Amino acid sequence: MNQATLILVVLALVLLIYAWRRGDGSHRRGVSMGWRTLKRTLPLLLVAFIIVGYINVLEPQDLVSSWIGPGSGWRGLLVGTGAGMLLPGGPYVVFPLIAALYQAGAGLGPTLAIITSWSSLALLTVSFELPFLGWRFTAIRLGICLIIPPLVGLVGTLLFGG
Amino acid sequence: MRKWKPNWTTFTLTGVTLALAAVALGQGGSRMVFDGLVSGGQTLLSVIPLLLAAFLLAGLVQALVSREVVERWLGSSSGWRGILLACLGGALLPGGPYVYCPIAGAMLQSGAGLGVLMAFVTSKNLWSVSRLPYEFAFLGTHLTLIRYGLTLVIPPLVGLLTEALFGGAIGRIREAVQ
Repeated sequence: MNQATLILVVLALVLLIYAWRRGDGSHRRGVSMGWRTLKRTLPLLLVAFIIVGYINVLEPQDLVSSWIGPGSGWRGLLVGTGAGMLLPGGPYVVFPLIAALYQAGAGLGPTLAIITSWSSLALLTVSFELPFLGWRFTAIRLGICLIIPPLVGLVGTLLFGG
Repeated sequence: MRKWKPNWTTFTLTGVTLALAAVALGQGGSRMVFDGLVSGGQTLLSVIPLLLAAFLLAGLVQALVSREVVERWLGSSSGWRGILLACLGGALLPGGPYVYCPIAGAMLQSGAGLGVLMAFVTSKNLWSVSRLPYEFAFLGTHLTLIRYGLTLVIPPLVGLLTEALFGGAIGRIREAVQ
Protein backbone atom coordinates (compact mmCIF):
# COMPACT_ATOMS: atom_id res chain seq x y z
CA MET A 1 0.00 0.00 0.00
CA ASN A 2 1.52 3.32 -0.99
CA GLN A 3 1.47 6.65 0.79
CA ALA A 4 -1.52 8.11 -1.04
CA THR A 5 -3.64 4.99 -0.42
CA LEU A 6 -2.73 4.99 3.26
CA ILE A 7 -3.64 8.67 3.71
CA LEU A 8 -6.95 8.21 1.88
CA VAL A 9 -7.87 5.13 3.89
CA VAL A 10 -7.07 6.89 7.19
CA LEU A 11 -9.09 9.96 6.17
CA ALA A 12 -12.00 7.79 5.07
CA LEU A 13 -11.95 5.92 8.39
CA VAL A 14 -11.87 9.16 10.39
CA LEU A 15 -14.85 10.55 8.46
CA LEU A 16 -16.65 7.22 8.71
CA ILE A 17 -16.29 7.20 12.51
CA TYR A 18 -17.34 10.85 12.70
CA ALA A 19 -20.39 10.16 10.52
CA TRP A 20 -21.27 7.12 12.62
CA ARG A 21 -20.98 9.14 15.85
CA ARG A 22 -23.38 11.73 14.49
CA GLY A 23 -25.97 9.01 14.82
CA ASP A 24 -28.14 10.16 11.92
CA GLY A 25 -27.28 7.35 9.55
CA SER A 26 -24.93 9.52 7.49
CA HIS A 27 -22.23 6.84 7.66
CA ARG A 28 -24.49 4.44 5.81
CA ARG A 29 -25.57 7.14 3.38
CA GLY A 30 -21.94 8.09 2.71
CA VAL A 31 -20.91 4.53 1.94
CA SER A 32 -23.87 3.98 -0.36
CA MET A 33 -23.30 7.31 -2.13
CA GLY A 34 -19.67 6.42 -2.78
CA TRP A 35 -20.68 2.98 -4.00
CA ARG A 36 -23.37 4.40 -6.28
CA THR A 37 -20.92 6.89 -7.81
CA LEU A 38 -18.45 4.07 -8.39
CA LYS A 39 -21.07 1.87 -10.06
CA ARG A 40 -22.30 4.73 -12.22
CA THR A 41 -18.83 5.72 -13.37
CA LEU A 42 -17.47 2.21 -13.86
CA PRO A 43 -17.98 2.09 -17.66
CA LEU A 44 -16.23 5.46 -18.05
CA LEU A 45 -13.45 4.37 -15.70
CA LEU A 46 -12.85 1.28 -17.84
CA VAL A 47 -12.63 3.39 -20.99
CA ALA A 48 -10.31 5.88 -19.28
CA PHE A 49 -7.97 3.10 -18.20
CA ILE A 50 -7.94 1.58 -21.70
CA ILE A 51 -6.71 4.99 -22.89
CA VAL A 52 -4.09 4.94 -20.14
CA GLY A 53 -3.06 1.48 -21.36
CA TYR A 54 -2.59 2.73 -24.92
CA ILE A 55 -0.60 5.73 -23.68
CA ASN A 56 1.62 3.18 -21.91
CA VAL A 57 2.23 0.90 -24.89
CA LEU A 58 2.37 3.53 -27.63
CA GLU A 59 5.23 5.24 -25.77
CA PRO A 60 4.43 8.77 -26.93
CA GLN A 61 7.38 10.16 -24.91
CA ASP A 62 8.83 12.12 -27.82
CA LEU A 63 5.48 13.56 -28.81
CA VAL A 64 4.56 14.44 -25.22
CA SER A 65 7.87 16.05 -24.38
CA SER A 66 7.99 18.12 -27.56
CA TRP A 67 4.48 19.50 -26.94
CA ILE A 68 4.20 19.74 -23.18
CA GLY A 69 7.62 18.60 -21.90
CA PRO A 70 9.62 20.40 -19.22
CA GLY A 71 11.34 22.53 -21.86
CA SER A 72 8.24 23.41 -23.83
CA GLY A 73 8.00 26.91 -22.32
CA TRP A 74 5.05 29.20 -23.05
CA ARG A 75 3.79 26.98 -25.83
CA GLY A 76 3.57 24.02 -23.44
CA LEU A 77 1.60 26.11 -20.93
CA LEU A 78 -0.83 27.26 -23.63
CA VAL A 79 -1.21 23.78 -25.13
CA GLY A 80 -1.82 22.44 -21.61
CA THR A 81 -4.47 25.08 -20.99
CA GLY A 82 -6.21 24.27 -24.28
CA ALA A 83 -6.07 20.54 -23.60
CA GLY A 84 -7.55 21.05 -20.12
CA MET A 85 -10.49 22.99 -21.55
CA LEU A 86 -11.30 20.09 -23.86
CA LEU A 87 -10.90 17.23 -21.37
CA PRO A 88 -14.31 15.67 -20.74
CA GLY A 89 -15.57 13.93 -17.65
CA GLY A 90 -15.25 13.90 -13.88
CA PRO A 91 -12.11 13.68 -11.75
CA TYR A 92 -12.07 9.86 -11.75
CA VAL A 93 -11.76 9.94 -15.55
CA VAL A 94 -9.53 12.97 -16.02
CA PHE A 95 -6.91 12.43 -13.31
CA PRO A 96 -5.78 8.96 -14.51
CA LEU A 97 -5.30 10.43 -18.00
CA ILE A 98 -3.31 13.42 -16.72
CA ALA A 99 -1.21 11.06 -14.58
CA ALA A 100 -0.44 8.94 -17.65
CA LEU A 101 0.68 12.04 -19.57
CA TYR A 102 2.81 13.17 -16.61
CA GLN A 103 4.48 9.77 -16.51
CA ALA A 104 5.02 9.90 -20.27
CA GLY A 105 7.12 13.01 -19.77
CA ALA A 106 4.87 16.06 -19.47
CA GLY A 107 6.53 18.88 -17.52
CA LEU A 108 5.36 20.12 -14.12
CA GLY A 109 4.22 23.51 -15.47
CA PRO A 110 2.11 22.17 -18.36
CA THR A 111 0.66 19.46 -16.08
CA LEU A 112 -0.42 22.11 -13.54
CA ALA A 113 -1.89 24.13 -16.42
CA ILE A 114 -3.90 21.09 -17.63
CA ILE A 115 -5.31 20.37 -14.15
CA THR A 116 -6.15 24.02 -13.43
CA SER A 117 -7.65 24.56 -16.86
CA TRP A 118 -9.82 21.44 -16.68
CA SER A 119 -10.96 22.51 -13.19
CA SER A 120 -11.90 26.07 -14.01
CA LEU A 121 -12.37 26.37 -17.77
CA ALA A 122 -13.79 23.01 -18.92
CA LEU A 123 -16.09 23.77 -21.83
CA LEU A 124 -18.53 21.01 -20.90
CA THR A 125 -19.15 22.74 -17.58
CA VAL A 126 -20.03 25.97 -19.36
CA SER A 127 -23.11 24.31 -20.87
CA PHE A 128 -24.35 23.62 -17.31
CA GLU A 129 -23.52 27.11 -16.15
CA LEU A 130 -25.28 29.08 -18.90
CA PRO A 131 -28.92 28.30 -18.07
CA PHE A 132 -28.45 29.16 -14.38
CA LEU A 133 -26.09 32.12 -14.49
CA GLY A 134 -26.42 33.53 -18.00
CA TRP A 135 -23.87 34.35 -20.70
CA ARG A 136 -22.70 37.60 -19.09
CA PHE A 137 -21.58 35.80 -15.95
CA THR A 138 -19.83 33.08 -17.95
CA ALA A 139 -18.12 35.61 -20.20
CA ILE A 140 -16.79 37.58 -17.23
CA ARG A 141 -15.68 34.38 -15.49
CA LEU A 142 -13.90 32.95 -18.52
CA GLY A 143 -12.35 36.34 -19.31
CA ILE A 144 -10.82 36.62 -15.87
CA CYS A 145 -9.96 32.94 -15.39
CA LEU A 146 -8.35 32.38 -18.79
CA ILE A 147 -5.02 33.66 -17.54
CA ILE A 148 -4.98 31.49 -14.41
CA PRO A 149 -3.85 28.07 -15.78
CA PRO A 150 -0.79 29.38 -17.68
CA LEU A 151 0.06 31.55 -14.66
CA VAL A 152 -0.21 28.63 -12.22
CA GLY A 153 1.96 26.55 -14.56
CA LEU A 154 4.52 29.34 -14.84
CA VAL A 155 4.75 29.97 -11.09
CA GLY A 156 4.90 26.21 -10.47
CA THR A 157 7.80 25.84 -12.89
CA LEU A 158 9.65 28.81 -11.37
CA LEU A 159 9.19 27.60 -7.79
CA PHE A 160 9.45 23.84 -8.12
CA GLY A 161 11.46 23.37 -11.31
CA GLY A 162 10.54 21.69 -14.58
CA MET B 1 -33.07 -1.92 -16.10
CA ARG B 2 -30.56 0.85 -15.57
CA LYS B 3 -30.87 3.84 -17.84
CA TRP B 4 -27.95 4.12 -20.22
CA LYS B 5 -27.53 7.74 -21.07
CA PRO B 6 -24.82 8.38 -23.62
CA ASN B 7 -23.32 11.84 -23.37
CA TRP B 8 -20.41 13.93 -24.63
CA THR B 9 -17.98 12.44 -22.16
CA THR B 10 -18.76 8.91 -23.28
CA PHE B 11 -18.64 9.83 -26.96
CA THR B 12 -15.35 11.70 -26.74
CA LEU B 13 -13.61 9.10 -24.61
CA THR B 14 -14.80 6.25 -26.81
CA GLY B 15 -13.65 8.14 -29.89
CA VAL B 16 -10.21 8.76 -28.40
CA THR B 17 -9.94 5.09 -27.39
CA LEU B 18 -10.80 3.88 -30.90
CA ALA B 19 -8.34 6.35 -32.44
CA LEU B 20 -5.55 5.17 -30.12
CA ALA B 21 -6.39 1.53 -30.84
CA ALA B 22 -6.16 2.31 -34.56
CA VAL B 23 -2.73 3.92 -34.08
CA ALA B 24 -1.63 0.87 -32.08
CA LEU B 25 -2.90 -1.41 -34.86
CA GLY B 26 -0.88 0.55 -37.42
CA GLN B 27 2.26 0.58 -35.30
CA GLY B 28 2.37 -2.93 -33.90
CA GLY B 29 -0.52 -4.89 -35.34
CA SER B 30 -3.22 -6.65 -33.35
CA ARG B 31 -0.56 -7.63 -30.81
CA MET B 32 -0.20 -4.02 -29.73
CA VAL B 33 -3.97 -3.47 -29.61
CA PHE B 34 -4.12 -6.35 -27.15
CA ASP B 35 -1.08 -5.14 -25.16
CA GLY B 36 -2.76 -1.77 -24.67
CA LEU B 37 -5.84 -3.42 -23.18
CA VAL B 38 -3.69 -5.57 -20.89
CA SER B 39 -1.63 -2.60 -19.75
CA GLY B 40 -4.76 -0.57 -19.04
CA GLY B 41 -6.26 -3.47 -17.11
CA GLN B 42 -3.09 -3.90 -15.05
CA THR B 43 -2.98 -0.21 -14.21
CA LEU B 44 -6.63 -0.31 -13.18
CA LEU B 45 -6.05 -3.37 -10.98
CA SER B 46 -3.11 -1.71 -9.27
CA VAL B 47 -5.17 1.33 -8.28
CA ILE B 48 -8.30 -0.50 -7.09
CA PRO B 49 -7.56 0.00 -3.34
CA LEU B 50 -6.93 3.68 -4.06
CA LEU B 51 -10.10 3.98 -6.10
CA LEU B 52 -12.24 2.34 -3.43
CA ALA B 53 -10.82 4.61 -0.74
CA ALA B 54 -11.29 7.70 -2.94
CA PHE B 55 -14.91 6.88 -3.79
CA LEU B 56 -15.69 6.07 -0.15
CA LEU B 57 -14.19 9.37 0.99
CA ALA B 58 -16.01 11.36 -1.68
CA GLY B 59 -19.30 9.66 -0.73
CA LEU B 60 -18.81 10.47 2.95
CA VAL B 61 -18.07 14.14 2.24
CA GLN B 62 -21.23 14.20 0.15
CA ALA B 63 -23.29 12.70 2.99
CA LEU B 64 -21.82 14.97 5.68
CA VAL B 65 -22.15 18.30 3.87
CA SER B 66 -25.68 18.70 2.66
CA ARG B 67 -26.80 21.13 0.03
CA GLU B 68 -29.24 22.73 2.49
CA VAL B 69 -26.44 23.55 4.93
CA VAL B 70 -24.38 25.32 2.26
CA GLU B 71 -27.41 27.22 0.94
CA ARG B 72 -28.51 28.35 4.40
CA TRP B 73 -24.95 29.37 5.15
CA LEU B 74 -24.47 31.54 2.10
CA GLY B 75 -27.86 33.16 1.76
CA SER B 76 -27.39 36.60 0.31
CA SER B 77 -24.14 37.48 2.05
CA SER B 78 -21.92 40.16 0.58
CA GLY B 79 -18.65 42.06 1.00
CA TRP B 80 -15.40 40.62 2.25
CA ARG B 81 -17.08 38.25 4.64
CA GLY B 82 -19.49 37.09 1.96
CA ILE B 83 -16.68 36.37 -0.47
CA LEU B 84 -14.73 34.33 2.08
CA LEU B 85 -17.84 32.42 3.13
CA ALA B 86 -18.64 31.74 -0.53
CA CYS B 87 -15.11 30.37 -1.00
CA LEU B 88 -15.54 28.07 1.97
CA GLY B 89 -18.98 26.94 0.82
CA GLY B 90 -17.74 26.27 -2.71
CA ALA B 91 -14.81 24.26 -1.39
CA LEU B 92 -16.99 22.10 0.86
CA LEU B 93 -19.92 21.56 -1.49
CA PRO B 94 -19.66 18.09 -3.04
CA GLY B 95 -20.89 17.07 -6.49
CA GLY B 96 -20.41 18.14 -10.08
CA PRO B 97 -21.72 21.08 -12.11
CA TYR B 98 -25.27 19.73 -11.96
CA VAL B 99 -25.11 20.40 -8.19
CA TYR B 100 -23.33 23.72 -7.86
CA CYS B 101 -24.77 25.49 -10.93
CA PRO B 102 -28.40 25.31 -9.67
CA ILE B 103 -27.22 26.45 -6.22
CA ALA B 104 -25.33 29.38 -7.74
CA GLY B 105 -28.47 30.20 -9.75
CA ALA B 106 -30.54 30.19 -6.55
CA MET B 107 -27.96 32.43 -4.84
CA LEU B 108 -28.15 34.82 -7.78
CA GLN B 109 -31.93 35.08 -7.50
CA SER B 110 -31.83 35.51 -3.72
CA GLY B 111 -29.64 38.56 -4.09
CA ALA B 112 -25.99 37.45 -3.93
CA GLY B 113 -23.48 39.87 -5.47
CA LEU B 114 -21.29 39.13 -8.47
CA GLY B 115 -18.12 38.83 -6.38
CA VAL B 116 -19.75 36.34 -4.03
CA LEU B 117 -21.04 34.23 -6.93
CA MET B 118 -17.72 34.31 -8.74
CA ALA B 119 -15.85 33.36 -5.57
CA PHE B 120 -18.28 30.48 -5.01
CA VAL B 121 -17.91 29.04 -8.52
CA THR B 122 -14.14 29.56 -8.70
CA SER B 123 -13.62 28.02 -5.29
CA LYS B 124 -15.80 25.04 -6.22
CA ASN B 125 -13.59 24.67 -9.29
CA LEU B 126 -10.21 25.10 -7.63
CA TRP B 127 -10.56 24.21 -3.95
CA SER B 128 -13.11 21.39 -4.19
CA VAL B 129 -12.64 19.15 -1.15
CA SER B 130 -14.67 16.27 -2.58
CA ARG B 131 -12.35 16.12 -5.60
CA LEU B 132 -9.25 16.09 -3.45
CA PRO B 133 -9.25 12.30 -2.87
CA TYR B 134 -9.15 11.59 -6.63
CA GLU B 135 -6.43 14.13 -7.32
CA PHE B 136 -4.41 12.79 -4.45
CA ALA B 137 -4.94 9.19 -5.54
CA PHE B 138 -3.85 9.60 -9.13
CA LEU B 139 -1.41 12.49 -9.19
CA GLY B 140 0.31 11.87 -5.88
CA THR B 141 1.03 13.99 -2.81
CA HIS B 142 3.67 16.24 -4.38
CA LEU B 143 1.72 17.43 -7.42
CA THR B 144 -1.55 17.78 -5.48
CA LEU B 145 0.02 19.90 -2.74
CA ILE B 146 1.69 22.16 -5.30
CA ARG B 147 -1.57 22.53 -7.23
CA TYR B 148 -3.70 23.38 -4.17
CA GLY B 149 -0.98 25.59 -2.71
CA LEU B 150 -0.61 27.65 -5.86
CA THR B 151 -4.34 28.15 -6.37
CA LEU B 152 -5.10 28.95 -2.72
CA VAL B 153 -5.34 32.73 -3.17
CA ILE B 154 -7.16 32.66 -6.50
CA PRO B 155 -10.88 32.27 -5.56
CA PRO B 156 -11.07 35.20 -3.09
CA LEU B 157 -8.93 37.27 -5.44
CA VAL B 158 -11.18 36.55 -8.42
CA GLY B 159 -14.22 37.39 -6.26
CA LEU B 160 -12.83 40.75 -5.17
CA LEU B 161 -11.60 41.59 -8.67
CA THR B 162 -14.89 40.85 -10.42
CA GLU B 163 -16.85 42.72 -7.73
CA ALA B 164 -14.63 45.76 -8.23
CA LEU B 165 -14.63 45.62 -12.04
CA PHE B 166 -18.06 44.29 -12.99
CA GLY B 167 -20.08 44.36 -9.75
CA GLY B 168 -22.60 46.75 -11.30
CA ALA B 169 -23.61 44.23 -13.95
CA ILE B 170 -25.31 41.93 -11.43
CA GLY B 171 -28.75 43.45 -12.03
CA ARG B 172 -28.64 42.73 -15.72
CA ILE B 173 -27.25 39.23 -15.12
CA ARG B 174 -30.11 38.51 -12.71
CA GLU B 175 -32.80 39.81 -15.07
CA ALA B 176 -31.45 37.87 -18.05
CA VAL B 177 -31.72 34.55 -16.19
CA GLN B 178 -35.14 35.08 -14.61
